[in-house]
Amino acid sequence: MSEGTRDRSIPRLPLLWLAAALLFTLPPMFGSLVSWVPWVFLLALAMKFWMEPRGYRLRFATLKLLLAAAALFAIFASYGSLKGVEPGISLLVVLVALKVLEAHTAREFQVMVLMGWVLCLCGFFLSQEFEIAVSLLSAFALLLVALIQFHRGSSPGVLWPPLGTAGKILLQAAPLVVLLFILFPRINTGLRFDLRAGSSANTGFSERLAPGNIAALANSSDIAFRAEFPGRTTMPPGPMYWRGAVMWHCDGLEWHAPYVPVSIARSAGQFPRGNTIRQRITLAPHGARWMFALDRPFEIPSGAILARGDYLWSVQTIRKARRYEVVSSLGTAGKELTPGERREALEVPAWISPAVRELAQSWATQSSSPRAVVNSALQFFQSGFRYSLSPGQYRRNDLEQFLFHRRIGFCEHYAASFATLMRLAGIPARVVVGYLGGEYNDLGHFFLVRQADTHAWCEVWLPESGWTRVDPTTAVAPGRASLDLNSFLERDIASGQMEARQSALVAKLARSALFTNLRLALETLSYEWDTRVLAFDADVQEVTLDSIGLANRGPFVLIIEILIVAVALLVIYFGWMQMRTRSRADRVKALYEHFCRKAARLGVQRNPFEGPSDFSNRAAQLLPNESKRIREISNTYIALRYAPEPAGTALDSFSREVRAFGRYR
Amino acid sequence: MKARRLPLVYPTAGFAGLLFVLGAMWYAAASQNNVAVYLLFFALTGVFLVSIPHTLVNLAGVTVTLESVQPAFVGQEVSLPLEIVNDSRATRHGIELALSSPDGARRRIDYIPARKAARVMLRFPARQRGEHNVPTVCLTSAYPLGFVRFLKKFASSHNYIVYPRPAGEARLPLSFVRRHDGRPLTEFGEGDDFAGTRPYVHGESQRHIDWRAVARGQSLVTKQFTAEAEGVVYLDFSALPSADLEAQLSQLALWIIEAERARRPYGLRLPHTEIPPAVGQMHFHQCLRALSLFEAG
Repeated sequence: MSEGTRDRSIPRLPLLWLAAALLFTLPPMFGSLVSWVPWVFLLALAMKFWMEPRGYRLRFATLKLLLAAAALFAIFASYGSLKGVEPGISLLVVLVALKVLEAHTAREFQVMVLMGWVLCLCGFFLSQEFEIAVSLLSAFALLLVALIQFHRGSSPGVLWPPLGTAGKILLQAAPLVVLLFILFPRINTGLRFDLRAGSSANTGFSERLAPGNIAALANSSDIAFRAEFPGRTTMPPGPMYWRGAVMWHCDGLEWHAPYVPVSIARSAGQFPRGNTIRQRITLAPHGARWMFALDRPFEIPSGAILARGDYLWSVQTIRKARRYEVVSSLGTAGKELTPGERREALEVPAWISPAVRELAQSWATQSSSPRAVVNSALQFFQSGFRYSLSPGQYRRNDLEQFLFHRRIGFCEHYAASFATLMRLAGIPARVVVGYLGGEYNDLGHFFLVRQADTHAWCEVWLPESGWTRVDPTTAVAPGRASLDLNSFLERDIASGQMEARQSALVAKLARSALFTNLRLALETLSYEWDTRVLAFDADVQEVTLDSIGLANRGPFVLIIEILIVAVALLVIYFGWMQMRTRSRADRVKALYEHFCRKAARLGVQRNPFEGPSDFSNRAAQLLPNESKRIREISNTYIALRYAPEPAGTALDSFSREVRAFGRYR
Repeated sequence: MKARRLPLVYPTAGFAGLLFVLGAMWYAAASQNNVAVYLLFFALTGVFLVSIPHTLVNLAGVTVTLESVQPAFVGQEVSLPLEIVNDSRATRHGIELALSSPDGARRRIDYIPARKAARVMLRFPARQRGEHNVPTVCLTSAYPLGFVRFLKKFASSHNYIVYPRPAGEARLPLSFVRRHDGRPLTEFGEGDDFAGTRPYVHGESQRHIDWRAVARGQSLVTKQFTAEAEGVVYLDFSALPSADLEAQLSQLALWIIEAERARRPYGLRLPHTEIPPAVGQMHFHQCLRALSLFEAG
């Protein structure tokens, strides 16, 4: 019940909540902005806590201008320009930090909360992943708590009361949010901001396959995509090779894909042979145009083309999660090889050493058929070669080194060298880069394919079967194809074939049931977030509105409908809250006054200062017929009025008595 | 005090900032087709809309009661002792009080627990003498978010009196001194010399009553001291040099104060009113009230 003026220093408790909230806006910044910006922000927050109780603040206008100019310059130096989303957000973050240091009156607290919400907005610009979304929405909620605590002033209760009020508000707002989410018109204003590509992505392959690229990804647990097989109850047969890109240009241990994929026309005579399998793939945004499908896609989604080599290529850069369905044929597609393609698939660089050429030639001369050449090559790799995540550095012309001396490598080394050898032996070959395997999440019933599962393999053209997949890695590491990389490595580590990558304790924790379940649950939530929430864009909204019968309403009509429902909801909330907090004494008093009015109508008027028992006696005297009723009502009233907490039933019976009074029988 | 008219809900200055942030969010979401930003926009809009009934309910069951208002002199401040009663079952937070008069004071009450009350003294300057109606008390609350403010006005039929500003010659007028008996006057000044007893006049201070005499069976007598021995002062309006009405009233007010301070019985004579001499709080206020309500002609 205290009084207080508002314009002194910022009260400490709301400031604490504000700081906690602002901490939650930091995670996306650490991932996407230049590294000093979030640290500066943290530093400003810490300094504020040191300065505020002492009454210091950023006072002088010239100092503020200097700091702002320094920030501008630093951001320009870090990014190379001031245009773009990341520089803009960095500038905003630094300005908010300056504002936090400068704010000293309580009135500015509301401004800081608003700025905190703007930082949440910026965070969502940088990333929309599930974990980031949880962090930013927590920041949003904590800012709400901070604002509520600020308006509570010195009311008792540090933790639970403002949290409780915030929770109530959020719960009540939830139906409104759902309503808005489904109905609010999503119009396209046409102006687009471009994020720097690659800031949130690391696909591990580009148009270039270089030795070491894929091995470098082996520790990444970033998600590449998730796959569902609608309509299937059993696992897809055989190993899951996900096709990403096809490399035609050979350069020893390095291979390139054509820079601009050319769309192939599918002729009518190409019926898929063998089983077909439909996949629904949710692709994490990677800033490029790669799309993935099981070997070999033939029915492609809209917005994609099938490039030469039977891989998918998106028409537009993939900047946000993309969901699509594709049908693949598990058998090989028999294709003719044009002379031009044959030439291209046999080109080798001139610098290949004689030893390597001799090896390839020896297979070619010794074998009777191209398939026999392939088998000889596979045999060659089966003995004496090792599969390792860290095989050491190779340059593109270290082919001889790899094949004859070091004999240790990862999938990209085997694929590159195998395809080169095939070409040297006169068999058209190419390298395919994509993903192999995937982890099944039985909670959400989908396969999770990570960046670590990036894989490279080969395809050779055999006269009897066309482009046929050959994976040289399976010659060296036979179990790899049936598992995802992590599980495979676990198995190898367990059997002693590979050195452990993490400490034993961490590995044990990672395998524990609790952690695994948590991880699966988190991945399922993330998947649901991606597919249900993030995928709900304007097109999906149109379809949904159609299905619930609200098709073809203009935006204004929708908004008016939303407003009507919202107002109704608010009125309900208001009525309910008022009912709940209304004091029962009110009702008791109101009922007694109702009784007095009735008595007045019968001729006995209660004086304003007459007590209930006095009045009861007087009224009983003047109205002898009703004297019993009058005394009952008055006694009940006295008991209810002055009782500490009247029981609900007593109130109900009192109400009945009053209502029955004065009725003619 | 009774709530007057319909209560009012209006946006605060912070609402402009909120609109700006919401606009930025909507524009960002629409231009990027960024569903997460849409979600944030909807969440903030939903939270704001839902806070409106919270703000409305925050003043439900809150009433204002006014106790009696002490009179004040022109130039001083009138103090309104208000009691803010929370009749509901929930704690009410962030209540601000203000007076509707232009230079009214503001006060903020951080919280009132359920079924409790808070006492607040609101002060405002007294400008004009006379009897005035207590200004309307405005009860506002912007809790919980501060973007929307709810206003309830409470009017009262209480009145308060403003006495004229005391000004003029401080020394009591000599020529108006009359004595009960014919003893010579002493001039101004006070003394503590005991100068006998006189009958006690109803309403004056009881400090100097001679209780021993009362115990002996006499009626109430009070001791007098030199100052009192000078006798009664008659303050006559018509005998003032006619100047500005307010100046005359101010002079009379000052003499009343001085006479009361000297504990000299004083009587007041106005054109339509005569108040017989006495001393004491009640008499003091009665005279000053008469001055306040005095209408020329």
